[in-house]
Amino acid sequence: MATTTAAIPVRSTRAYRPIWGWYGALVLLMAWGLAAWIYELKYGLAATGMRDVVSWGMYIFTFAFFIGLSAGGLIMASSAEVFGIKALKPLSRLGVLSAAACVTVAALMIIPDLGQPFRVINIFIHPNWTSPLIWDILIITVYFLFSVLDLYVLQRHAIEPSRWRKRIRVLAYVGLPTAVLLHSITAWIFGLQIARSWWNTSLMAPLFVVSAILSGTALVTLLALCAQRWGKVELSEDTRRWLRGFIIVSLFVDLFFVGADYITVLWGNVPADRSALNLVMPGGPWAWLFWVEWIVGGVIPLAFLLIPRLKKMPGALGLASVLVIIGVYAFRIELVVIGFVNPLTQYPPGNALGTYNAQTTSFEFIGRYHPTWVEYGIIIGLVALFATLVTIGYRSLHVMEPSPAGGQHHQRAAVERKAGS
Amino acid sequence: MAAKKTSVPPHHVMVIDTNRCVGCWTCAVACKQINNEPLGYWWNRVLTTAPNQSTTAKPPASYNIDVPSGTYPDLELAYLPVACQHCNDAPCVKVCPVQATFRRDDGTVLIDFNRCIGCRYCMAACPYGVRIFNWGDASYAPGGVIGYGKEYWTEDRLVFTPERPKGVVEKCTFCVERIDVGELPFCVEACPLGARIFGDLNDPDSQVSELVNDGGGEQLHPELGTNPNVYYLPVARRVPGES
Repeated sequence: MATTTAAIPVRSTRAYRPIWGWYGALVLLMAWGLAAWIYELKYGLAATGMRDVVSWGMYIFTFAFFIGLSAGGLIMASSAEVFGIKALKPLSRLGVLSAAACVTVAALMIIPDLGQPFRVINIFIHPNWTSPLIWDILIITVYFLFSVLDLYVLQRHAIEPSRWRKRIRVLAYVGLPTAVLLHSITAWIFGLQIARSWWNTSLMAPLFVVSAILSGTALVTLLALCAQRWGKVELSEDTRRWLRGFIIVSLFVDLFFVGADYITVLWGNVPADRSALNLVMPGGPWAWLFWVEWIVGGVIPLAFLLIPRLKKMPGALGLASVLVIIGVYAFRIELVVIGFVNPLTQYPPGNALGTYNAQTTSFEFIGRYHPTWVEYGIIIGLVALFATLVTIGYRSLHVMEPSPAGGQHHQRAAVERKAGS
Repeated sequence: MAAKKTSVPPHHVMVIDTNRCVGCWTCAVACKQINNEPLGYWWNRVLTTAPNQSTTAKPPASYNIDVPSGTYPDLELAYLPVACQHCNDAPCVKVCPVQATFRRDDGTVLIDFNRCIGCRYCMAACPYGVRIFNWGDASYAPGGVIGYGKEYWTEDRLVFTPERPKGVVEKCTFCVERIDVGELPFCVEACPLGARIFGDLNDPDSQVSELVNDGGGEQLHPELGTNPNVYYLPVARRVPGES
């Protein structure tokens, strides 16, 4: 790769200033995450807020969240190619870079969730092919390798557009179904489970795909805006328009799916389903998820994306992106945690917790979950790892630089491609 | 039972007569004893229900045990002892990524303590909520190891160990170490009311065959198609005075 980047002629025009402060902060956060993980290894998962009733927590919903985030870049890069959206092509390499970084972080997120992390090798020795988890590990691996390959090819294409043009197209056609599969299989980890009716809906896979596109596009938008702010790269108005469009459409579809699911549960009024939904509806103990999802991550970003006066405000797109990402994270929390909080059997005393506490009982009827500093620490460390990967990738691969064929200035590159190829 | 000589391999089932259950939790405590279960672990527990209510009923009036449902004087009270249902089509077996949870040919669903990676997918997949995770270093009641007290291996798998390793899932084993030598699961032996009956479903003359086939034995969540090997005899006699 070193020879590749060296061959980019524009490199000399953009000498990156070293940003040791930024790297230092990230290294500190990653070290903090590592320390939290070592602490967890010593004391077991008892160091987390999970117990037998809510037996999956922050690691799993953040895992699902990062899998979703990884969608945007790759789907955007691939659809730019497949559907010929010229305005999004300048973001292709940034998108695929973010996809690779997200899927790496998501895969690592599983490790601290395991009770016996040093036995992961068993997954390869004794795979159980009826388990959605095995298929998910498989597709995560494929997706990771694919995004690295795609990044490499896009990188080569930036240098020699004519020679690598066709390979980009082929990869784009492979990339779209791969991304859809990744999110579907991750959704099926939950959606196929008959035990918890909160999860057991065929809507799960489409919902995951659309919320993945939503949060992923918002993430790439944010990264591109960061590049514009600190990297002195210009985003063309056309590019912004496409990003905004992607977010608006996927946000509408996402809310439509979630709303359709709510209606089904409300109208059907099946006790087990209804008791789950009541936890998140206004008035329930988890109602904050409802408000974050529908207001913070729904109505407000839509206002900033659609209402002309708000839309024109500087930072409207960035703000909407941040809010949308927060909303999708709330959706992930709602999906995973409510599935556990809602009691399986509606009879006292409920389920055993698996740990002893002299002050209270060993049973829990309605599940409770409060992540501990260990979980926050590891998650923050992994988010810092994501930032590190993206920063290093951005700076060493020059992902936002225009290709030599497209001229020196980014905006002009977009315009020329629009007019030309 | 294993002692009986039949050409067909045994298919172990348990029948629980809810008419006889008084909710004393002896089975649950006996289970803790024989299996040296650490504090906070309950492989077996006794739910407070109303007679003949489905398991997906509305939330109860009280989250406490032993509280009858209904309004005075029309009160109802019944109990539902729940441990692993040893499903023939077990969701936990299907989801386990490393085949640590497996089903033996006699219908017993077991966990390999040495293979489990602790992903807890089985706990998410189990409709009965009977699985327990070793979250940290287990704390035991004072007095040292009690109960069976040894490791037990079957099909080259470690399926019971009195000293729990951190980070693996465990649950009711149908007392596999006892049924393999022709003894009864300890909860069956301990129940003071004889509410638990254990035996071989492949033996047409066994009591469990009669109860399952002719006695109206019902499974928990039959609609999920997990086909458990634990059957419940529904409450047949109503409380006197109930209209």
